Amino acid sequence: MSRLAPVVIDNGTGFTKMGFAGNNDPSFIQPTVIATRDGGSAGSGAPSVPSKPSFLNSSASSNLASKRGIEDLDFYIGDEAVANSKTYALNYPIRHGQIDNWDHMERYWEQSIFKYLRCEPEDHSFLLTEPPLNPPENRENTAEIMFESFNVQGLYIAVQAVLALAASWTSSKVSEQTLTGTVIDSGDGVTHVIPVAEGYVIGSSIKSVPIAGRDLTSFVQNLLRERGENMIPAEDSLTVAQRIKEQYSYVCPDIVKEFKKYDQEGDKYFKKYEGVHSVTGKPYSVDVGFERFLAPEIFFNPEIASSDYLTPLPEVVDTVVQTSPIDVRRGLYKNIVLSGGSTMFENFGKRLQRDIKRIADTRIKRSEVLSGGKMQATPMEVNVITHKKQRYAVWFGGSLLASTGEFHSYCHTKAEYDEVGPSIARHNRVFGTVG
Amino acid sequence: MPAYHSAFNELTDLRSVGSMALLPIKTRVRGPAPIADPNAEDIIDEALNLFRANVLFRNFEIKGDADRVLIYLILFITECLGKLARNPSLREAEKILGTLALGNFAIPGDATFPLNALYTAPANKMDADLLRQYVSQLRQEMAVRLPNRIYENDKPGKWWMCFQKRKFMNKTLQTVGAGAGAGGARSRSEEKMEKS
Repeated sequence: MSRLAPVVIDNGTGFTKMGFAGNNDPSFIQPTVIATRDGGSAGSGAPSVPSKPSFLNSSASSNLASKRGIEDLDFYIGDEAVANSKTYALNYPIRHGQIDNWDHMERYWEQSIFKYLRCEPEDHSFLLTEPPLNPPENRENTAEIMFESFNVQGLYIAVQAVLALAASWTSSKVSEQTLTGTVIDSGDGVTHVIPVAEGYVIGSSIKSVPIAGRDLTSFVQNLLRERGENMIPAEDSLTVAQRIKEQYSYVCPDIVKEFKKYDQEGDKYFKKYEGVHSVTGKPYSVDVGFERFLAPEIFFNPEIASSDYLTPLPEVVDTVVQTSPIDVRRGLYKNIVLSGGSTMFENFGKRLQRDIKRIADTRIKRSEVLSGGKMQATPMEVNVITHKKQRYAVWFGGSLLASTGEFHSYCHTKAEYDEVGPSIARHNRVFGTVG
Repeated sequence: MPAYHSAFNELTDLRSVGSMALLPIKTRVRGPAPIADPNAEDIIDEALNLFRANVLFRNFEIKGDADRVLIYLILFITECLGKLARNPSLREAEKILGTLALGNFAIPGDATFPLNALYTAPANKMDADLLRQYVSQLRQEMAVRLPNRIYENDKPGKWWMCFQKRKFMNKTLQTVGAGAGAGGARSRSEEKMEKS
C-alpha cells in the first residue's frame, strides 16, 4: 500500500518549520504566533476540552463568542498574523520551547495543516518535535489534539536534539552515523546544550545559556547607538541591527588582533549597510564596524554584554560533558553538533572547537602531572560539526527520520490511540521505553 | 577567554612602587621611569592596543603589578576620550589632554583614588612622591600618543569614540576630579556623565 509522505512540523519558540518528509527544506517557515480578535483572552472561543490546561481560560470572552458563534474562526497565524497585528492581538502559544496555550496551539496547527500545508490529516502520519525534558503530560495533550481533533493517521513525537544529531549525518566530517553527541541548539530565545547518548537524552546534564539570537541583536543595537549612528530611524533600529547581525557578523579568533586588522586594512573590513526608511522611503546608509565580530563574541565572553551571566559557551559545553556518565564522554566530545540560526556565524564551529579542546587538553595535562607521569591519556578528540542544514537542523533531521521505511512502524496509529488512550504517547517504540 | 593581561607581568626584575610596576616607557617626558627600547612596544602602546578589547569587560583579574599600570592607563584613556567628545581639532585636543594630564590627580593611597581596593598605598613619603612622578609621566606620554593614534581628518575617529561610554571594570577615574577639583572643564564632563 503506497503511503503519502509524512508531515513534519517543528514548532519552535520563535519560528515554526513545517513541510513534508523527504524534502530538503521546510515548505513553510513562519513565526509561531497567532493573531486573535479578542486580546489574550481568546482561550475559550474554541470547543476546548476541560482536561486541557488552558491557562488563559477566562470566562469573559465566552459570552461574546457564543453570541457570534464564529469568533473562533477569525484568526491568522504566522506572517499573516504579524501583518494583521494592528487590528488583532498577537499571542505566542509556545514559551521557552514548551506549549503554553493549548487552545491557541490547536488553532495554530489547524491552519498549518489546512491552510498552509493543505493536506488531509487522516491520510498522513505526523512527526512533531518536543524540547528535551518535555513533561509526558504535554505529550499526551499533543496526542489528544492530533488524534481527536485532526484524526491523524499516525503520530510520532521526537526530541529536537536527537533530530539535530540525525541531521548532522549529511556533513562530510561525520564518519559514522551515531546518535551519541552533544547538541548545541541556539535559536532566538535561548541556547541549550544537550548531551545525547545512543539516542537517549541525558536529562540531568542539560544546561541552558540565556544568550541567543535576540541578545545578539540587542547588543548590536546597543553598539550602534553608542557610536551615534543617528542615520538609523528609531523605528527601524531593531530590524537594522538584526540585518547587520545576519549579513555581516562572523566569529574571530582573537579580538585584539581583529581590532588591529580593522586599523590596518579598514577598507577591507568596515562595511556599509544600505537601508530604506520604512515610512518616508528615503535611503540611508550605516557604517558597520566592530559589531561584525563583537556580536557573536558574547557567546564566548558573555560579560561584554550582560552583567549577570558570565560563563562562556565552551565552558558550559565542557561542564555538560563532564557531568555525563564517564563512558560516553569521549563520544560526546567527538561529536558536537550545532543547530539553529544563531550558530550560523562564520567560524563559529572552529572557535568553539578550539576553545573546548583547550579546556579538555588542560584538564588531561593536569591529571597527567598529578599522576606523577605514570599515566598517559590518549588525547581527547574534540569535533564540532558544522553542516549546511544547520539552520533548520531539527526539521531536516525529522524529514530524514520520517522518510525512512521504518518510520511507519514507530508511529502510534489512530487505532492504537483508540485502544489505549492518550497515555500511548508516553511510550516510544524506537527505544521500547516509557518516559 | 577573559580580558587581556599585560605582557609585562612576565618581567620579574622590575621595581614596584605602591604595587604599580615601574615599567620602561618610550618618552621625552622626564620622570622616574626607565627609558625603553625605541623599537619595542612599551606599556603605553600595549594599553592603546588592548583598550578597545578590555574596555568591554567588567571583570579583570590582576595577575601582576604591570596589570595595575594597564588598568590605570585604560581608565585614563576613557577619561581622555570623554574630553574629546566635542570633536576638537588635533591641535586643540593635544592642548586639552596636556592640561588634563598635568592637572590634579590622585594616586593609590589618596582618599579620592577610586581603585584603592586593588592597589596598595606607597610605603612612605618618598615612595609616594616617586609614584606621583611616575603616574604623571604615564599620563603625559599617553596624552601625547593618544590623539596621534585616534585622529582622522582632524577629528577623533568614531571607531574609538564609540568606546567612551564603556566603563572598564565598572570604574572611572572621574571621581578623582571630584576630590581634586581641577576647574570648570572637569565639572562639565561630569555633568555629561550624569546625563548619559
